[in-house]
Amino acid sequence: MTSYSNGGLFNPAYHDSETLESDRRSSSKSHPHTNPYARGERADTHYATGQNSGDDAVGRVPWGGWQEESWRGRESIPMGLISTRPGSPPWQHDLNHSTFQIPPDSQYDRSPSVRLPPATSGNMTMRWRGMTMRRMSMFPNGDPNHVAFTEDAIRNEMENEEQNLVKELVAMSTRDRIRAIRDLPVSFDEKKHIRSQVLAFKSSKKSRQFTCFADCSENMSLSFRRCGYSIRSARQTLQLWQGIMKEIGGTFGTSVLSYFVFLKWLLMFNIFSFLVNFGFITIPLLVYDPSPNIPPNVSFRGLEILTGAGYFNNTVMYYGGYSNETLVGLVEYNMQLAYFFTIAVYMVLCGIALIFSMASSFRTNYVLADTSSNSAWQLLCSWDFNITNERAVRQHKNNLRVQLKESLSEKAQRELLTLSKKLKHFGVYLGSWLLSTGLAVGCGGSIYYLCQYEQQRATDAANWSLLQEAETLLVPFVVSLMNLVIPLFYSLFNKFEPYSSQRRQIYALVVRNVLLKMSILAVLCYYWMNVVAIKFSCWESMVGQALYRLVIVDFLFLMLGSFFGEFLSNVIGRRLLPRLGVPEFDVARNVLEIIYAQTLAWIGIYFSPLLPAIQILKFFILFYLKKVSLTQNCQPPRRSGRAAQMQTIFIALLFFPFFVGALSMVAYTAWSLTPSEHCGPFRGLTNTFSVVGVWMEYLEKIPGSQWAVWIYQNVIRSEIFYFLISLIIIVTIYIFWQVTQGRKHLIGLLRKQIVNEGKDKSFLLDKLQNLQKSKPDQKSKQKNHKKHSSGGQSNSNAMFQALLARQQLEEEEERRGVGGVPDISTSSALAQAVQARQRAEGQERDEYYRTGFSENPVNTSSALTQAMQARRRVEEDGADDAQDLPSSVSSVMMQVMQARQRAEEVDRSHRVPAHPQNLAPAGSSALIQAMLARQQAQNEYDDGY
Amino acid sequence: MGNKQTIFTAQQLDAYQDCTYFTRKEILRLFDRYRDLAPQLVPLDYTSHPDVKLPYELIGSMPELKDNPFRQRIAEVFSEDGEGNMTLDDFLDMFSVLSEMAPRDLKAYYAFKIYDFNNDDFICKTDLEKTLNKLTRNELTEDEVRMVCEKVIDEADLDNDGRLSLEDFQHMIVRAPDFLSTFHIRI
Repeated sequence: MTSYSNGGLFNPAYHDSETLESDRRSSSKSHPHTNPYARGERADTHYATGQNSGDDAVGRVPWGGWQEESWRGRESIPMGLISTRPGSPPWQHDLNHSTFQIPPDSQYDRSPSVRLPPATSGNMTMRWRGMTMRRMSMFPNGDPNHVAFTEDAIRNEMENEEQNLVKELVAMSTRDRIRAIRDLPVSFDEKKHIRSQVLAFKSSKKSRQFTCFADCSENMSLSFRRCGYSIRSARQTLQLWQGIMKEIGGTFGTSVLSYFVFLKWLLMFNIFSFLVNFGFITIPLLVYDPSPNIPPNVSFRGLEILTGAGYFNNTVMYYGGYSNETLVGLVEYNMQLAYFFTIAVYMVLCGIALIFSMASSFRTNYVLADTSSNSAWQLLCSWDFNITNERAVRQHKNNLRVQLKESLSEKAQRELLTLSKKLKHFGVYLGSWLLSTGLAVGCGGSIYYLCQYEQQRATDAANWSLLQEAETLLVPFVVSLMNLVIPLFYSLFNKFEPYSSQRRQIYALVVRNVLLKMSILAVLCYYWMNVVAIKFSCWESMVGQALYRLVIVDFLFLMLGSFFGEFLSNVIGRRLLPRLGVPEFDVARNVLEIIYAQTLAWIGIYFSPLLPAIQILKFFILFYLKKVSLTQNCQPPRRSGRAAQMQTIFIALLFFPFFVGALSMVAYTAWSLTPSEHCGPFRGLTNTFSVVGVWMEYLEKIPGSQWAVWIYQNVIRSEIFYFLISLIIIVTIYIFWQVTQGRKHLIGLLRKQIVNEGKDKSFLLDKLQNLQKSKPDQKSKQKNHKKHSSGGQSNSNAMFQALLARQQLEEEEERRGVGGVPDISTSSALAQAVQARQRAEGQERDEYYRTGFSENPVNTSSALTQAMQARRRVEEDGADDAQDLPSSVSSVMMQVMQARQRAEEVDRSHRVPAHPQNLAPAGSSALIQAMLARQQAQNEYDDGY
Repeated sequence: MGNKQTIFTAQQLDAYQDCTYFTRKEILRLFDRYRDLAPQLVPLDYTSHPDVKLPYELIGSMPELKDNPFRQRIAEVFSEDGEGNMTLDDFLDMFSVLSEMAPRDLKAYYAFKIYDFNNDDFICKTDLEKTLNKLTRNELTEDEVRMVCEKVIDEADLDNDGRLSLEDFQHMIVRAPDFLSTFHIRI
């Protein structure tokens, strides 16, 4: 590493910033670039202070997005704002980077369409990252003689980059700017520095304009921002259970935490629904008529808390407690309409919220997720930084080890399966599925008969005896018992089934549990709508009561479940049968339990508008209960699957069978069932929905509201409207589906392209290596270099190119007889480098043009121009290839290499050992060449896009 | 906003809020956490930008980091001097990146640096081996370690250069949605 840069008067950064810039400029004239990361550059021109004339705007090439002429940057920033920070630059600890990779940014520019840059800020992050990476690799190593010079040049370059960034940031809106600054992957000090520069630049610009106004607006925006921050921190204070969440995450990891996050989310849902119902239905009624009209012979006996019957029956708890009048107070308030629209709007809002959270969760967690890279994921992404508990860390490590071992042995196992084994597995699956489905159906059937039995005994009387009241608890008790016991059987089946992956095992378990809960709920709903609705005079309240009982008893069973299920098995596992071990917290089962509870609340919203209040209480207590049970009894789950995906599935489940089921139940009730005649807001109507019809009739008499009637007649009640809507939706879905298919195809192609490019790269490297090996008559010095270069694979590319170029340069010098010059100045070395390159290209060009290109080196500047011309020609050649991507990249690189090779072959006869003094400049010029070749390749690539 | 605090000036707080994902309250809380590590070293007045650096031993003993197998790497990556000694700014920066609000790209960048033990901008096999040994307490056999590393590279290395570049790593992160919630330290 050290050998080729020692004695180098010229550091690569210097060359990089001068030569490449000119080179680039020339190339841009023939090729307007479309670099995806350079959007900001053009916009910067507006912020330059005006000295810039037209020609430099032409010269400014948005190349690679991260570089610009140094003088330009300085011009546009007011003096004194330029970074003058001496001392330890933040990148200094990167000095020991051993790789010398020349264009690290190429890795960013290579596949622009695969990575989806989020917006300006993402673009910015990439750019800055490119800079930092580049900066790291800018140090071949510290050359004691020229460190100062190197650092100077590099600092210059960094300032330029920084100023470009600052200018780009200034152009953004305040909000975007703050986000962009936050997203920069640099140290805090640097962020602060950039921020202060941006602010200073902004204020200096403003001060030249109308001072007062600028001051005012500045102050305004500052105070707005502070206000926003304080709102954010106030919102943070309101967040529930921060500390508990941290504790749980610290000891049990993210997957268990996701249960609690889900529980909290549902709690928020219920708080919202309670507020809506209470605010729009209950409060107006209570304001109008605060005393519940309870029959005189009914009193509060205590059992009502469990059964919800008796005393509660006549309160605002249930549908029956609401009147159908128009409340006349300060304003007229139509209870019928309020009841109908509140429930309807709440259901619609719930649906929208669920759809949105489900869709976003699907997008981020499911569509992008890829199961193929399992080991990589386990090793690099699965470590849970949340975990802070020592025991948990140990266990997590153990689990990871076991999982890695399993994944190693998995493949071998799968291949060994014989036909008889497969048949046996199939039999076990079939048996357990039949058994579990049978259990679910059996539960549904038995509940139906139980309901019928109960219905025969129940009477419509307002006053029940205590025993009668207690009997009503039978059905919810049985239902909850089934919900508690049957899943345990399912888990048992699961143990016998041979699943190849844990995910399938969990899915099977989830599907069975969902089937069970669905069948129970379906039977109950059927019973309520077909039997209860006919038998009882105030049947909505009866259904509300039944739901209330279900909610309460379910809660009791959840408590019992965590006591018996978790506490007892913990005691058994610790004391009696250590073989069983401490129980794990089963996230899937627990989540399904709360989903079921939430479904009950949704179904009940029509029959018992204040049921969310009970639900809030239930979830609140449940949170603490589960937390205590978890920390006391459980251990972290042994297999922490992909929590994010599981969560997506849970939200999907909550939406699809459960919410949609509840919604259709409520909708059916509102559309088709006749409301009870003697109680509730809809008494006397044929169905609930006709309340809208009545309202429309009323509106017709009021002038000025004809449009509402028209909408009702022509949109809501017309079949053709719904027909058209569904047609449009279906067509849209089809189109989007097609787009998705196309994108999938495209992703596949792009992935292939990445792989191909990687192959191209390695192929070219191989070729270069072979080329180098085929010249055994190289001088010993070079062999030494070769040894150095073989040390690190990463720098072999640059090294080989450097060696080749040096050799070529020496030959050129030999021919011209200037090799004896002992002390070469910077500019002449530059010229030599460029000439060498030009010749290399000239050789190739002769193939196509046979033009008599001047071979006489005149002076530095002419050499430079020649180099540019040569370069342009090569590019013209390359442009033909640019159509068929991605081969153009490799083809251009090949051309450059061929040119070099040819130059060497031609001059091999003249070979004489070169002057040692020339080595150093050659080294740096070789670097330039390598960079040039690389950049040209990228040019072509960018053009292609 | 009534409560007066004299640790930072309003401008300093603005800068902190603009450059991290934290609110004022969180910044003050983090300052308290920082100060609790060494009350005798950290002054209560930061308005004059005191040059205080807590050594790695103190940073690594925080309950949030103490049991993390990567604590030393985290401290090294986020500290200005690369040795894990942290100023308050570094400290805030670290928890800002590890907070819930930080975007995926930023997190991936730093995660990459954490896993890149030899700072060569690539995760190569030795880095993977080190990661693996840290994660499994050296309990896998050499053969298994080698197999796992090969498999990882095989799965995640898109350009076939035998090691993972930042690009490869990000590509993998995009497909691993859990990463956002696991690369997260609550404070």
